[in-house]
Amino acid sequence: MSDLDRQIEQLKRCEPLKESEVKALCLKAMEILVEESNVQRVDAPVTICGDIHGQFYDMKELFRVGGDCPQTNYLFLGDFVDRGFYSVETFLLLLALKVRYPDRITLIRGNHESRQITQVYGFYDECLRKYGSVNVWRYCTDIFDYLSLSALIENRIFGVHGGLSPAINTIDQIRTIDRKQEVPHDGAMCDLLWSDPEDIIGWGISPRGAGFLFGGNVASAFNHANKTEIICRAHQLVMEGFKWMFNKQVVTVWSAPNYCYRCGNVAAIMELDENLNSKFQVFEAAPQEARGVPSKKPAPDYFL
Amino acid sequence: MAAPPRASSSRAAVQATNDDASASKLSCVRKGYMTDNYVQYFVRRPVKRSPLINRGYFARWAAIRALLMQFLSQPSSKRKQIVSLGAGFDTTFFQLNEEENAPDIFMEVDFLEVTSKKAMIVAACKEMARHLESPVFAPEKGEISSEHYKLFACDLTDTARLDAVCEKADLDLSAPTLILAECVLIYMDPEASRALLRWAASKFSNAVFVAYEQIHGEDAFGQQMIRNLESRGCPLLGIHDTSTLESKMNRFLETGWKRAVAVDMDEIYNRHIDPVERRRIERLEIFDEFEEWHIMQEHYCVAYGIIDENETFAGFGFSQISSES
Repeated sequence: MSDLDRQIEQLKRCEPLKESEVKALCLKAMEILVEESNVQRVDAPVTICGDIHGQFYDMKELFRVGGDCPQTNYLFLGDFVDRGFYSVETFLLLLALKVRYPDRITLIRGNHESRQITQVYGFYDECLRKYGSVNVWRYCTDIFDYLSLSALIENRIFGVHGGLSPAINTIDQIRTIDRKQEVPHDGAMCDLLWSDPEDIIGWGISPRGAGFLFGGNVASAFNHANKTEIICRAHQLVMEGFKWMFNKQVVTVWSAPNYCYRCGNVAAIMELDENLNSKFQVFEAAPQEARGVPSKKPAPDYFL
Repeated sequence: MAAPPRASSSRAAVQATNDDASASKLSCVRKGYMTDNYVQYFVRRPVKRSPLINRGYFARWAAIRALLMQFLSQPSSKRKQIVSLGAGFDTTFFQLNEEENAPDIFMEVDFLEVTSKKAMIVAACKEMARHLESPVFAPEKGEISSEHYKLFACDLTDTARLDAVCEKADLDLSAPTLILAECVLIYMDPEASRALLRWAASKFSNAVFVAYEQIHGEDAFGQQMIRNLESRGCPLLGIHDTSTLESKMNRFLETGWKRAVAVDMDEIYNRHIDPVERRRIERLEIFDEFEEWHIMQEHYCVAYGIIDENETFAGFGFSQISSES
């Protein structure tokens, strides 16, 4: 068994790697990711997954429902880290799978794959807690800069974490972005990771303070200009796991069940067959007994 | 380690919600959401809460503070009284007094375990004790008596004891009184919380009873909230009795109150909080939890019932506090 296969087995048990192993893994991943386009081409059949947010045991549930990699070809739409208790193990397992099976798993960047956001929402603190230093956070956030920004499935389905940008009309324009940097506060790269669809006409200001709201006519114009059929994105919690909008021109996929151990929602993954017929697999949070030995029981915050 | 889920409510676990709330309030204060110079004395190990929790505690604080200030600023020939039920380590009196807004009487009651700790902490803290006029501390009884501030131990299901502490505090039962219960009634059996409301309605002749607590135990988020709090040992015993805004209002009307209002926190945040303040706090932290924020806020509300002889409280309430220009 190779070191990498052993590391994958270890990560599947939710056991983090040593700091030196993380460093080596990130170097290997960087060699692969640097070659990827800002618009990574993906072949069908493929299974599309939304936000995971460090909910490791729920991601194992996802693989149980969707099938293991490499048997199943996966596209993850970002937001691997933050909020949940196991961002380290979650991201490293996905990254190890990427290095092991680069053609069977595509990882694109979410707005949480950022130095700034991870310092507020948990990944930074988790690395510090689990390794006693922030080196692992540095290795991982350096890798974030290399993650692709979007995916194009059989030239017909556009996958992105957040949504569209007023600075982008054609997919070719995305290809010209210099992505190897921290997520900027504005501009095309920021918008792709931060925007949300909304029932408006045209563009609107986002309450998030980054990205934009885009209406059905904007989605329509984008699909028309790029000869795509669906914009498939994540980024927003939807209680039913997935949500179609704008006459099936946009779909939100959400893959973190019982988000933050508090929301009570179900999650979904979107399975596309070779003809791009879509089928959603809806799943619930992993049962307590599947959450490992005496895993600390999450105590989500409320207003008490 | 959390206790296994239990149907019954643990007194210690319910009291522990108090420590959790103080830690969250301090997290807000340290981030600059609001000023409270006293909550720090009740938190042994400060923690950093997520922006959502900070913003939610701010919203609750701003909503309650707006009602308090409205009450305190209404002209009255009689003295003003605030009664805080299940007050925990709340520091409102001390902050109001520092701002020279304290009412004539501020009475707090809670379980003995809580009030004795509070009495000890206040007694040992010069910065707090200086706000008390001729104080007498009796930590073993969980009591502080002073000119304006009074603290008593009392189980809220014991209305005879409540009668006794009202007398000890020298409350004027006809003076304008604001009664506050933040996340208190919801932990009580519905019969007990209704008995408490009935007691208050019959005791005071000019009062407003303000409650902040959870609603909507019936949907997926609510079900998860019920499970999570149950596994902490503090089940929301009252949630099914008053799961909607309408039932929160009706609970007041059914227990002797004349008028009642209930508004969920999502609406309060959007419509009844000073927009200047809102804009200020929204810049304090990166915030990326919008869907969850709305869901969470929809599961909390402020409900109040009013009883007044001479329309003392005519016009009181959120209708007077609009953030819409």
